[in-house]
Amino acid sequence: MAIINVAQREIRCKIVYYGPGLCGKTTNLKYIHKMVPETAKNKMISIDTETERTLFFDFLPLDLGTVHGFQTRFHLYTVPGQVLYERTRVAVLTGVDGVVFVADSQPNKMRDNIESLRELAQNIKNEGKKFKDFPLVLQYNKRDMPNAVPLEQMNYYLNSQLNARSFEAVASRGVGVFDTLKFISKLVISKL
Amino acid sequence: MDPQLTSLVVSTSETARIEETLDHLIAETGANYSMLLDKSGQVIAWSGDTDRQDITSLGALLAGTFASSREVARLLKEKEFKVLFQQGIRENIFTELIAEQWMLVVMFDKRTHIGLVKVLSKRATDDLTGILDRVKSESRAKDQIISTSFRTSVEDTIDLLFKD
Repeated sequence: MAIINVAQREIRCKIVYYGPGLCGKTTNLKYIHKMVPETAKNKMISIDTETERTLFFDFLPLDLGTVHGFQTRFHLYTVPGQVLYERTRVAVLTGVDGVVFVADSQPNKMRDNIESLRELAQNIKNEGKKFKDFPLVLQYNKRDMPNAVPLEQMNYYLNSQLNARSFEAVASRGVGVFDTLKFISKLVISKL
Repeated sequence: MDPQLTSLVVSTSETARIEETLDHLIAETGANYSMLLDKSGQVIAWSGDTDRQDITSLGALLAGTFASSREVARLLKEKEFKVLFQQGIRENIFTELIAEQWMLVVMFDKRTHIGLVKVLSKRATDDLTGILDRVKSESRAKDQIISTSFRTSVEDTIDLLFKD
């Protein structure tokens, strides 16, 4: 839930990047951190394992500056994607305003995508929110893989019931990263 | 709290009351720093050392720690853990849950005793519960802030900043 602090003239929203292990959630945040202007970015915090897999979350606060007298901020988080960290993902989702679901386009990852999306839906419901109405955008990542699942099939498996906006991406090269971020940020603001 | 609520407005007068409670807590316990977080990790108000850095990161990490401990509690069939205590060599952190939605954080060193922090934090959380109940019930002035022109300006800023 976004906090509008009148005394400090601040508005802060929380966006979480969700998805199966190694789908590119942290890669999205690293690219955003690299590319946004100095004035907008703050220190990125990553709590990861020795092998640089996310253990708890990555955290990147982005500052939009002052809009109509209010300092507007987006706090971006990733969840750990590995199956065993299910309860940790629930913890990171606490108070979330919008979600980017990052799906891996490789055929052998489709089952992981579907299971992760199903788990996300359940976790949002457990927060007392309606998943259908919840601000969500899908990002089909790794579109540069030679064996990438065709777009229609990605939509069929992941988006046929949701009808959420989806973006193709190659996060390692930054393709689609900002399109996704722009869309979810605007969606969250529209729901405030 | 209504789970469908998408934003919460904390007014100037309510923030002043929260800060007053935190100031009072620091003065009575001799702690270094205190802050009120919402469960998503947003810092609502703080009091104490003015030179403390990275408040935003502290808020995110402490709320994450608390949310993680809540999941541990569920696995143990506990409803929740009400307090968390982190002990350092120089500084300690005491965190107490307020009305399942907020967290009171107190940072203190060896000049202050944990028992005192515990007792006085309990009193502060009682005061804060009353203030935060009012915040929830009176969170109505949103339309004055989130106007159509505000949304348009934010969208323009997003287009300006979020690009390669």
